[in-house]
Amino acid sequence: MPVDTIAVPGETRAPTRADARGCRIAVAGERDFQAGRDELLLLSALNQGVNYPHSCRVGTCGRCKTRLVSGKISPLVDFALSPLTNRDLKDGYILACQAKVRSDLEIEVGLIDHRVTLPLSVVGEISGWRVLPGGVIDLRIALDEPLAFQAGQYAALAVSGSFVRRSFSFYDAPPGPEGAREVGFLVKHLPGGRFSGWLAARDRCGVRIWVEGPFGQMGLDDTPRHALCVAGGTGIAPILSIAEDRLQRFPTEGVTVVFGVRAQADLFALDRLERLSRLAPGRIRVVPILSHEPAGSGWSGARGLVTAALDPGLGIDWGRASAFVCGALPMVEAVEARLTALGLPRGRIHADKFEPSGL
Amino acid sequence: MLDYAKYLLSPVLLATSAYGLWLGGPHAWLGFGLLIGILLFDAFLEPDHSLRDARFPWLYDLIVSVQLVMGFAMILFYAWLVGQGHFDSTSSKIGGFVTMMFTQFVIVAPALHEMFHRENLFHRWLGRIGMVMIFDPWREITHVVTHHIHTVTPDDPDYARRGENLYRHLAKTFAGQIAESYHLERRMWTKRERAWFDPRNAWVWRVGILVAFVGLLWLIGGGYGALAGVGVCLLGPRILLEIFNYTQHYGLVTATPGRFEPRHTWNHLTPFVRLLALEITNHAGHHEDSYKPFYELVPDRTGPKQPQFLICLLLAFVPPLWFLMIREKLHHWDRHYATPQEREIAEAENIRAGWSDLNERPTLAQARFAVAP
Repeated sequence: MPVDTIAVPGETRAPTRADARGCRIAVAGERDFQAGRDELLLLSALNQGVNYPHSCRVGTCGRCKTRLVSGKISPLVDFALSPLTNRDLKDGYILACQAKVRSDLEIEVGLIDHRVTLPLSVVGEISGWRVLPGGVIDLRIALDEPLAFQAGQYAALAVSGSFVRRSFSFYDAPPGPEGAREVGFLVKHLPGGRFSGWLAARDRCGVRIWVEGPFGQMGLDDTPRHALCVAGGTGIAPILSIAEDRLQRFPTEGVTVVFGVRAQADLFALDRLERLSRLAPGRIRVVPILSHEPAGSGWSGARGLVTAALDPGLGIDWGRASAFVCGALPMVEAVEARLTALGLPRGRIHADKFEPSGL
Repeated sequence: MLDYAKYLLSPVLLATSAYGLWLGGPHAWLGFGLLIGILLFDAFLEPDHSLRDARFPWLYDLIVSVQLVMGFAMILFYAWLVGQGHFDSTSSKIGGFVTMMFTQFVIVAPALHEMFHRENLFHRWLGRIGMVMIFDPWREITHVVTHHIHTVTPDDPDYARRGENLYRHLAKTFAGQIAESYHLERRMWTKRERAWFDPRNAWVWRVGILVAFVGLLWLIGGGYGALAGVGVCLLGPRILLEIFNYTQHYGLVTATPGRFEPRHTWNHLTPFVRLLALEITNHAGHHEDSYKPFYELVPDRTGPKQPQFLICLLLAFVPPLWFLMIREKLHHWDRHYATPQEREIAEAENIRAGWSDLNERPTLAQARFAVAP
């Protein structure tokens, strides 16, 4: 069986029959590695210390999404049941954790060049609960033990005693290796949502809650460049973290934040964006854009979907910038397409797609 | 070679059962009697933690493939016997039916489960076709995609929460599986941009396989033969399989949904249960890597264990007795296996089930339960 080994980077294994019939895996713009025929692509990569993006390893999170340029794989479970969209399927995307290698492969995937912070499960207590415009709750949790995370990462929250578990992005700047004693999340109240409905019902300060994280790699881009951050709704949470982190780490680079909500009354987190402006005067530009603002309301800013704000008028050198995009799946896909059309290399578009977790 | 020979027990039992059916009269009970006898004997044996010799995997695969084909032949044979009016007394009629129910559940169902989990195309298809013998060729999708991913969460229709009795579970699990199966199939045909009735959709050709199976039973055994054959499939492996599911994860909870840990299942490791069930009751290993063949599974020596499987099966039919046994087991699991977060979920589940007395700090647990979503 190809999946009977455990991923231990650098471990020496006796050559197996599958290894003897090795296939060359060429990762575009990255290192090549060998995988045994019939081995799972992700496991094979991890076995050799290749830092392949992944999270659940069972085909549900979609973190190991990979474009198959050439070669043959066999999916363990029909990819139509995975988070891959129909368009992904047509564009040749696969999930590495579910793909058995059948031949030499040429693939496109952004390997991670960071040391990965292993997730921890930490208990805490809700220490801050504030209703913001647009039905968003600013939730803060005081943790019993510190938790480290990087910009753009997320955590899974579960109230004590509950099976209900939902993922949200940290909005604070990364705390460094010593970790944070308090963490914050922005939670949109969804009609019928078991977690968000419960949270929105009343002030939940004092409730015991478990935080598992960090997960995700959206913010991992260490190159000093102008950062274009595009957020839809509560997608602003990881963007706040990424923007602050980059403003601190790259003192000569700027950040443009395009923030889309429905109407002026839904604009939230502006105080946090203003704080960033004070932190790095002249280096951050915020472009709020409203999709459903009534005509004649007095709003003088941009109108339309977030993609409407993405044009040459932003004055961004598209060939040099990095983009961080976070929001609902259709919005992120539209932004990715728009940015690619504007000349931003696809490999520099880092996206986190919010998908409903069920009610 | 003894390890390989051990697994011949199932084909031998199938052949013996078939011989008993052929003899008719009281011999129709032979298969049932042998199986129950072996399983009762097994109940007095110590757990077997040995590993299997896996030098010749093809030999195991051959045995299981033969076993599955024998199971298929046996249901056709049974339909033929019924069609011929072979069982002339009420006792032999019941004996034949009960023998078929149990052999198909204990021996054939594990074989088809083993095969539809395999990556080898021939084996996988053998298992897929074999699913007609549980009269549910759609079972694979909810099993592989839902059960193995959402293990011990309410999102898994196979999962029984604390306080749930068998009969309530059966009603819930069938409805849940149908809904989940429809949901998953629709996702597939929608993504593939196909009409729901497109013959390339898995559920459509699975209907075809089931219709062909019933047609074959009809051809061989006529109306009565087909009825008896279908009855065996539905009342035997189909329902008994759900009872197996009921016991296997009963009341356990997870704080890491989607990430299985060995503590998230009960195990039954007595020697004959391991052999007859093709190690499926060596359940932690199977969930850790569901593509691993049965002969590579490593018994979890220190994992959660229930009483011997036949005892559990019988207790499940009598809810007060089941609760008597399982409450003590869950009490132990909460204190020895659960993580702190899982312990809190377990406490909430105990309150939900009306079993607050199992909680160490009932007042605190009740206070937390009162505010949880």
